[in-house]
Amino acid sequence: MSTDTIDDRYGPLLTLSERRPEVVDSVYLQTLKELESIELLEPLLEEALYQERLRLRRMRPNLFTWPRKRRDQQLWSQIQKGLLRSKAEVSRSELLKKILAHYTEEIAGSFESKVYDFVIQSLPYGFNAFLNAPGIRLGKKLDSKIKLLGPIERLQKLSKQGTILMVPTHLSNIDSIVVGYSIFLAGLPPFSYGAGLNLFSNPVLSFFMNRLGAYTVDRAKQNSIYKRVLKNYSYLTLQKGIHSVFFPGGGRGRSGAVESRLKLGLLGTAIDAQVQLLSQNKRVFIVPMTMSYPFVLEARSLIDDYLNEAGRYRYLPVDSSVLPAVKTLHFLWRLLKEESHLTVRIGEPMDVFGNSVDEEGQSLGPNGTLIQPREWLTSLGEVQASPDRDRVYTHELGKKIVARFHSENTVIPSFVVAFSYFEELRKQYPGLDLFHFLRLSVEQRSLPYDRFRQSCGRVYDRLKDLESRRCLHLSDELKYLDLNDWIRLGVERCGAVHSDRVIRLEDETVSTDDLTLLYYYRNRLSGYGLSLHADPEIDLRKPGRTDEKGFLV
Amino acid sequence: MKKDFWSEQSVLVLGGGAWGTVLAQLVSAHVRQVTIWMRDEDLVRSVNATRTNEDYASGLTLEKNIKATHELDQAFQENPLIVLWALPSKITREKACELSAHFSGRELIFHATKGIELESLKTTSEVLLEELPCRRVGVISGPNLADEIKQGQPAATVIASDFREVIQAGIDLFSSPRFRVYGSKDVVGVEWAGALKNIMAIASGALDGLQMGWNARAYLYTRGIAEMSRFAEIFGGKRETFMGLSGFGDVIATCSSASSRNYQVGKLLGQGQTLEAILESTGITAEGVRTTRAVAAYARRQELHMPITFGVDALLDGKVTAAQALQALVQSPSSSIWE
Repeated sequence: MSTDTIDDRYGPLLTLSERRPEVVDSVYLQTLKELESIELLEPLLEEALYQERLRLRRMRPNLFTWPRKRRDQQLWSQIQKGLLRSKAEVSRSELLKKILAHYTEEIAGSFESKVYDFVIQSLPYGFNAFLNAPGIRLGKKLDSKIKLLGPIERLQKLSKQGTILMVPTHLSNIDSIVVGYSIFLAGLPPFSYGAGLNLFSNPVLSFFMNRLGAYTVDRAKQNSIYKRVLKNYSYLTLQKGIHSVFFPGGGRGRSGAVESRLKLGLLGTAIDAQVQLLSQNKRVFIVPMTMSYPFVLEARSLIDDYLNEAGRYRYLPVDSSVLPAVKTLHFLWRLLKEESHLTVRIGEPMDVFGNSVDEEGQSLGPNGTLIQPREWLTSLGEVQASPDRDRVYTHELGKKIVARFHSENTVIPSFVVAFSYFEELRKQYPGLDLFHFLRLSVEQRSLPYDRFRQSCGRVYDRLKDLESRRCLHLSDELKYLDLNDWIRLGVERCGAVHSDRVIRLEDETVSTDDLTLLYYYRNRLSGYGLSLHADPEIDLRKPGRTDEKGFLV
Repeated sequence: MKKDFWSEQSVLVLGGGAWGTVLAQLVSAHVRQVTIWMRDEDLVRSVNATRTNEDYASGLTLEKNIKATHELDQAFQENPLIVLWALPSKITREKACELSAHFSGRELIFHATKGIELESLKTTSEVLLEELPCRRVGVISGPNLADEIKQGQPAATVIASDFREVIQAGIDLFSSPRFRVYGSKDVVGVEWAGALKNIMAIASGALDGLQMGWNARAYLYTRGIAEMSRFAEIFGGKRETFMGLSGFGDVIATCSSASSRNYQVGKLLGQGQTLEAILESTGITAEGVRTTRAVAAYARRQELHMPITFGVDALLDGKVTAAQALQALVQSPSSSIWE
């Protein structure tokens, strides 16, 4: 590391620390240019005002975020007063400028190399200090907790040839740390990072995120002006060659399934950046990243959210009484203890259209052809952005990323045991819909161990078949351990962080303390055509469906 | 100006059949140069010498800026920005593999193939996207009997594509005082409509072979559209598409036209001949026969309700007579009381 130049170690993100005002200004000016020329600026401002007032009414700030709420309220109060006056008295353009200044400042991240160095070196120790647990050696403990797979060298090479947009799956709030650290482990310089604004409500996290290249994405802000600023920030940073990462799924996947639907707004900025970069002969590469966790800290509240929305009156939630702080510690303890680890896979890189790229970064077409992005981005004889055309391209890219999320997913024993158990149990109650199924009593949920084991074997065979067709990856444990051993590991680790046991094995009987949690962990294997009512032909191509009884297929 | 842009461009038409030739003629008015690529060397010479495609489009004098070639390199020499794909559906994949190296990726491709890849049930645009390094593909499909358009009779068509750019180019390049182009975003629907109507054409011919009247015809067309659109929906097509030119419009044109090969096969079946005898004596290869087999097989596997398709399939097998097939349709156990 010490032989790296400054540029190597920190990469293009250093631009952000040196030139933050410049970046903020260019986003401001670009957005102003786009919006000022719109004839009907008034409705745009009115929409923003309306939505922001709603958002602020709903916002429940803590001690740390209270000043932010107050600043927002002051701004929108000004805007409201302005809109109540005539255009002659108060220029709408001036109002727009106030809003843009506010938003660009909020969104734009920064980067301080000293902070980065500090975090990278102390992260492994940080966990230990937290726990002060005997028997855990100091040192590179965290490195071994993250198993990083994928074409790392190729990615290192591509990072020097063009701009990388990393797009990871999103399950948990720890993803921010896992992704950031994985990028470091992959020998890549730090990335500009689109982080949910909710993460910044914690002063400690906020301090670090603000200085590690994170820019804020507030999903609570739905108005067009904000979205435009956000897109321009992403577009301009990509265009300046700053590697970036954001979660194309938007928020954390609530059902536990691999994302099958993505938010395309920010994704579209990759194509916009590519159009601009063509003139410099530079490329933008899209790199999917998948994470496989045997346990997810927030699983309980996530699956509750999902079921509430999917089932409404049909879903009866069970309250959890454990404090968040206790859960976090328990999680960290489980993670650092013995064999638990998180599997992160960097997927095969693609171009902005979703075509695979080779070692040199060239886009591969069918039948040995090479695709020239320039040609695909030429319309009526000119290389230019074209909203309708590029929207179609982005939509296609979204579909390809979803396909990659599934095919680059690393299946771990926890997924298999949860899935096998759940699906085998379903066979006993074919008439029940999801919400009634979830209310089965403890006795009704039990299965003889043999049946469970056979189910695991059957599912495993189908997974091997899918692996041979490159529809997914199997973890080493699944590949090299025998059936009984990986079943044992899977049962032990599945949802181990929760106070309830997700899979309990006692006296040759398998049961679960919490069927909804089991459903959550089972869902990681939905979307592969494996479930009870799946149609492998259709569901492999188009994951995300629920069957007639409401179960994710 | 856009018009000026197109007037400098070159177009390549792959396939020198009736429709390919007529399309070449339509587009020649708007562009600098059109090249038709065809396999038959003799026909190429004849076309270039006489300015007519005697074999497939006799009576049509081709514009001066149209030339024919059977050599691929020559075909792509002018760097065509527009490629019209008018080859038989059976050879789509094979030809696309063969030609892929000639494409730069800048091309806008319009295909006029009313057929699907039977083994995979993939549409032509899907196959082209899998084999060519191009992304902007559209399908041109509608009630477009080449003979009538050749004679200058008015007609309309649909160009479907994901890309507005492709639809707009189609409108700019194919429109003429007697040919109107409409756009659609439902590529899958339009393609399936074009393929499935061939099944209806066979059924319609069989009906006419029984000398049934207008009630029966209307019954067949309307319920045929319902059956076709439900099927296409499974693959992502929209039912409204079947109410338009590429669905209902095309059914009307093809199902009443004695010049449709599918209709002819159906009529002879309706009169009592076997499929083998028909193929032997007439040498007609009708696209609809293969489409019926593939669609019926899929529908049986998936337990879909498709009485007309099953009826045509049984008719092709000689398992039922046309009269029996019609009776079975009227009395078929319905899946719902609604239309």
